[in-house]
Amino acid sequence: MAYTFSNPLAKKATMSGAIVETQGLTVYYGKHRGIIDVDLSIDEGEVFGFLGPNGAGKTTTQRVLMDVIRPTKGRASIFGLDCHKDGVTIRKRIGYLPGELSLYPSMRGRNFLHMIGSLQEKEVEPSYRQELYQRLDIDPSRRMKEYSHGNKQKIGVVAAFMGKPDLLVLDEPTGGLDPLIQQVVMELVREARDDGRTVFFSSHVLPEVQAVCDRVGIIREGRLVKTERVEILTRRQFKRLHLSFRQLPPADAFAIQGVSETGREDLTVMLEVREGIHQVLEKAIPYGIEDIETPHITLEEIFLAFYGRENQGGNRA
Amino acid sequence: MLNLFWHELRSRFGAILGWGIGLALFGAMNIAIWPEVGEQIQSMAELSIVLMLGMDLGSFAGYVASAVIGYIPLILGIYAIIASTGTLAGEEDDGTLELIVAAPLSRWQIVTVKAIALGISAFLIIVIAGLGNALTLEAIRGLIEVDVTPAEFFVVTLSAWPITVAFIMMGLFLGAYLPSRRTAALTMTVIFIVSYFGLLTVRFAETLEPLAALSLFNYFDFTATAFTEGLQAQDVGILLGVALIFFVLALLSFRRRNVTVGAWPWQRARLSG
Repeated sequence: MAYTFSNPLAKKATMSGAIVETQGLTVYYGKHRGIIDVDLSIDEGEVFGFLGPNGAGKTTTQRVLMDVIRPTKGRASIFGLDCHKDGVTIRKRIGYLPGELSLYPSMRGRNFLHMIGSLQEKEVEPSYRQELYQRLDIDPSRRMKEYSHGNKQKIGVVAAFMGKPDLLVLDEPTGGLDPLIQQVVMELVREARDDGRTVFFSSHVLPEVQAVCDRVGIIREGRLVKTERVEILTRRQFKRLHLSFRQLPPADAFAIQGVSETGREDLTVMLEVREGIHQVLEKAIPYGIEDIETPHITLEEIFLAFYGRENQGGNRA
Repeated sequence: MLNLFWHELRSRFGAILGWGIGLALFGAMNIAIWPEVGEQIQSMAELSIVLMLGMDLGSFAGYVASAVIGYIPLILGIYAIIASTGTLAGEEDDGTLELIVAAPLSRWQIVTVKAIALGISAFLIIVIAGLGNALTLEAIRGLIEVDVTPAEFFVVTLSAWPITVAFIMMGLFLGAYLPSRRTAALTMTVIFIVSYFGLLTVRFAETLEPLAALSLFNYFDFTATAFTEGLQAQDVGILLGVALIFFVLALLSFRRRNVTVGAWPWQRARLSG
């Protein structure tokens, strides 16, 4: 790895392997559930995508890591240090972009960035900050109240990235940005990873998660239901088979456990196979297989498989 | 941290000028009418309504203490409610507090910086008002004979700072403790009104007199003795002590606060850490 830590605290984190770690992390807002028993581990230098619908607990998890809110039980650590007790030390090395970004209306973008930059451990390189202004196409001399939602978000992105922090915690970083700028933000995430830095990144935009993340965690109703490498998740979760036959099999031909038929088109049967691929082929052979296709499965399809479309949308973040 | 402090102070610049100049003009108007209506005002000194309001109109010193300096903490009480509950609670409601809390600053540093900025802003407002008062008095000194010098007037005007800062720290604590700016401002307003009008009431009933000690206005002299006897160290000490207590309470409350959640204290009590 090209990046080397100079901070002794970082060495401690490197030894344990995980940059971000939570154990049994639980947050209740009074009687309302925030997150329940979240065990999360993010390794050094990886881009970790955090997926889940509104109210699933993504923002809550990230806010606990930033010590904005405190856990009801469980623990959270970053760089091997406790997020609450050692919060100040930890946050010097983190770039944070909240999901609901609000900035002081009368403050100029440049002044705000100067203030945030002065609090971080690494000195902000003026040339890099200038580069970010150019790449994100933002004029920092204006007051916050003069910025559109998207431009405020750009200021937030600059604030998070400008100090080249060891860890980036980004909550929906591309929200409100136009597609071109979204691409720039994704490039910045890739560059951070290439630099050996770690990114913890929540998003609803599944293609972008798939494009930049090494691993994803899927959170549902406050519980982390799956953590997997993106390529494994998309490969192993289920396979899609499009079988073309000489003779169409009967409707119940593939009524096998772990197999569901998703449609038929002429002589082609479309299947989703979670287990029992050999049984599928055994059943298929007698009908004369003409062609087999295994279409690529997107992260979005996996996400929907976890939730079902009816669960989209929801309660509090 | 210094940058945050400057931001805090800069963001209050308009308020400092606005409230300061407003108070200075308020004082100037009241002082400027004295040469013309001074005798008339003195003749009202024994009216029961004047006594009930705790005003001392028997001399120029008593008049300016009651009608000018006495109103400063009352008027600045509004500033205290707006500014103190707008800090922490208001910023949390607006969402701007999240990035500050997520910065590498401890919670006590954030509260301290904001408290100092609030205290300084109140001081600067009163300094502007005091300068206005002193300059106006200087302007009319040739017209009448008064028992107060501009320098004395300026210094006595500054005596409004301890009570103002006590209310500011109370508001800061309420903002850090209660779930929203609205509840904090409402609570603060009730306390402020009860504190002022309650004191006027209890001073009339001997049996209620002990309750006067509960009002912060009890420790603020807005009679001629403010000029003749100077600042009472004990009263100033009590007010600054109250300010300190509320500041510490604000620190403790904010240290435990779940920012962005707007939870009631009993909900926060469930949380560890």
